[in-house]
Amino acid sequence: MRIAVCLKYVPDPSTIEVDPLTGMIDIGRVLYMMNPADESALELALRLRPPDGTVTVFSVGPIEADRLLQDALAAGADAALRVWDDALGSLKPIVTTTLLAAALRVKALPDLVLCGGHSVDRGSGTVPALLAEHLDWPVVTDVTQFEIQSGRLRARRRLARGARAESEVTLPAILGLETGLVHLRQASLPNLMRVKYTPIPLYGLEELGLSPQDLHFPAMTLHEVMPPRPRARMMFTPDVGGSVQERVAQIMSAGVAGKAGKILESGTPEQQADAIIAFLCQRGFLEQPT
Amino acid sequence: MVMTTHEEKMRTVRFRVGATPHIVVNSEICRNECSVHACVYVCPANLFVPLDDGGILFNYEQCFECGTCYIACNQEGAIRWSYPDGGYGVTFRES
Amino acid sequence: MTTHPANQQFDVIVVGAGPAGSAAALLVARAGLKVLLLERGEYPGAKNVSGAVFYGSAILNELIPNWWEQAPVERPVCRRDIAFMSPTTAVALDFRCAGAGFATAPYNGFTVLRPKFDRWLAAQAEAAGAFVLTSAVVDDVLRENGRIVGVRVRREQGEIYGKVVIACDGVNSFLAKKAGLQREFHPHELSLGVKEVLGLDPAIIQDRFHLTDNDGIAYEYLGAITEDVHGGAFLYTNRDSLSLGVIGQVSSLVERRKRPYELLERFKAHPAVAPLVRGGKLREYSAHLIPESGWAMKPKLYTDGMLVAGDAAGFCLAAGLYLEGMNYAMQSGLAAAETAILACQKGNFSARTLSVYQKNLKQRHVSTDFRAYRHAPSFVNGPRLQNLYPEMVAQGMEQIFRVDGAPKRKILPLAYRMVRQSSIKPGQLLRDVYQVARAYLW
Repeated sequence: MRIAVCLKYVPDPSTIEVDPLTGMIDIGRVLYMMNPADESALELALRLRPPDGTVTVFSVGPIEADRLLQDALAAGADAALRVWDDALGSLKPIVTTTLLAAALRVKALPDLVLCGGHSVDRGSGTVPALLAEHLDWPVVTDVTQFEIQSGRLRARRRLARGARAESEVTLPAILGLETGLVHLRQASLPNLMRVKYTPIPLYGLEELGLSPQDLHFPAMTLHEVMPPRPRARMMFTPDVGGSVQERVAQIMSAGVAGKAGKILESGTPEQQADAIIAFLCQRGFLEQPT
Repeated sequence: MVMTTHEEKMRTVRFRVGATPHIVVNSEICRNECSVHACVYVCPANLFVPLDDGGILFNYEQCFECGTCYIACNQEGAIRWSYPDGGYGVTFRES
Repeated sequence: MTTHPANQQFDVIVVGAGPAGSAAALLVARAGLKVLLLERGEYPGAKNVSGAVFYGSAILNELIPNWWEQAPVERPVCRRDIAFMSPTTAVALDFRCAGAGFATAPYNGFTVLRPKFDRWLAAQAEAAGAFVLTSAVVDDVLRENGRIVGVRVRREQGEIYGKVVIACDGVNSFLAKKAGLQREFHPHELSLGVKEVLGLDPAIIQDRFHLTDNDGIAYEYLGAITEDVHGGAFLYTNRDSLSLGVIGQVSSLVERRKRPYELLERFKAHPAVAPLVRGGKLREYSAHLIPESGWAMKPKLYTDGMLVAGDAAGFCLAAGLYLEGMNYAMQSGLAAAETAILACQKGNFSARTLSVYQKNLKQRHVSTDFRAYRHAPSFVNGPRLQNLYPEMVAQGMEQIFRVDGAPKRKILPLAYRMVRQSSIKPGQLLRDVYQVARAYLW
């Protein structure tokens, strides 16, 4: 099995400080690191790799990201590839994933792509899904555990408010992994020394067969940011007859009625998507399509 | 701000926390054989917490790796220490 | 990729990429030998803290001509102040030199920020051909037939071999202890330094400290500044920040039950210090041990296959007038490198061959300086010279300058009265005068 892992070179959030003299982020004090969720992803990939399998690491980033890829090689990755081009401006997730998809194709598409679900800097959490869109592959996000049996991947997901879900997809697939599942192993001394001066292959736009137009996406506009839960319709007074636990639960739910979900078991994906849209319209999350 | 609390000081320091503690305190010795508890005072990162029962609780995560606790400890074997794994622990940026 | 560096034997393995280790690796690499420089931090300097004034400009200039033009230095130190403090007063000795060698090349000393400076110096060693490996903590030495033949890095397959090991692994040197060259320390032999870097506008620094252009100043404080803890304090100017800190003897901190960072706060609040640090914004807090006892805690400096240099060898001169470590670290690192190069030429790595290290240390004025000032630390770092007398001087000046209608006293009777009021016995005072003289005059 061939596994690809996407690694991001990110600033350590604890080192981002505003210079009191200039009012700007003090670039000189920022230290960079491998995104923690990506570190978990890499370790899981290394554990999963069968004897005849490979783990290839990819990163979109400047020359400094080579250190990260060398660390991955030292930990046991078989090959590394860095994508960068001086023509690149700001790296929106859609640009990053276009580049990553092209890079994955250059190396011949793998059977499984592991990504950290969220980066500690931008943290949009959209890379796995966007990458899936580019490759037209299934994607599972918020993954905490997974196993592969005869070409099918079964993943356990962590959802909001403590809920768990299990999903099953066929390979090839993309997983977005939660942060902090496992620590990356310590590299052996010979490996650490071997990679120290190992050059990392660099792919620019040309090598990826892309033109600057391919990376031009209409600017997105952010209209509003809202918490993802409906507003309470009334001040809620818990029922005094109930037990303490019941009353606490009632207060915690802030009077929001019925979170009861519905499981869509039948129908084609299109029918299921229609049902979800209808549900969201009915609850007032979406406007009725005209 | 010139005058700062210890918490404010510690917030300026960067730590990359390793998976295993590099300093281990044998609280049994602190409880039974030590009445001084020098570590509580001298540690510049204030990582030693005296417990009600006379024991000592130690947090290794924000350690400067200076070795003062080990030097100050007057009880043989109460503090066992080494450096954290390579690349982990404190990373000074300006000092 | 075909050659496996770990399988190769190195001529020299240097442990610790501070000023001693990097200087040693640089010199060994230049001699065309294979040298491995191991550093446990994420980068060289990540674990290192000094005041920090680097008084080794001339030494480094021999290795890298005009090094200050490319190195991350802060300010050349052209003024030095030594201040004696009481809780409310301060008397200072103010030395200024705008002349040759202080404000001009090769300069006397520079304030530096260690993580930046040490990183640069290690990069020079790397450029000269040293293999610099970070994130590699060394746990032990490797022995064969009783002699040291390499080190064990705390990683899988961490054994690595070298003909000579130079231990520059700092004040806590686990390596010197593992090799049986160093004993365990006593709390009275070491001091703890706690430090802050305070960001401040360069224009304010210039005005406030009366500095021309990029010149810098180093203040050292003695007296009541650490309350009753034996120690002192310092304040140095960087380009756009101040480095300041308090140093306290570990045993004394324990006895007085003082928290070091609280002493640091009190230091900043002292009426003579507060105006200097006003408006500063905390950028980093740090702490480190200082091997203040110098000669008294010197380990055995060499054994079969290994040499010890820098703080690991106790080469830090903390003796009142002097507060120097990086220059001696570098000199001892160079002396160790010269020794290792000679041993490689001879193909003999026995303690007997490596004993040339002592001669090299003498030639580089390391052992001679430490020998000359061997009496200073135990006495200077004691309570009377570091705390009591400076405070008395400050109080004495207060009485001399005070005009309150009372009759003016001449200095001798004034001093007599002050000594009588203090806890010092006349005999003790005389002995102290003799000891100061012995420590500094001859």
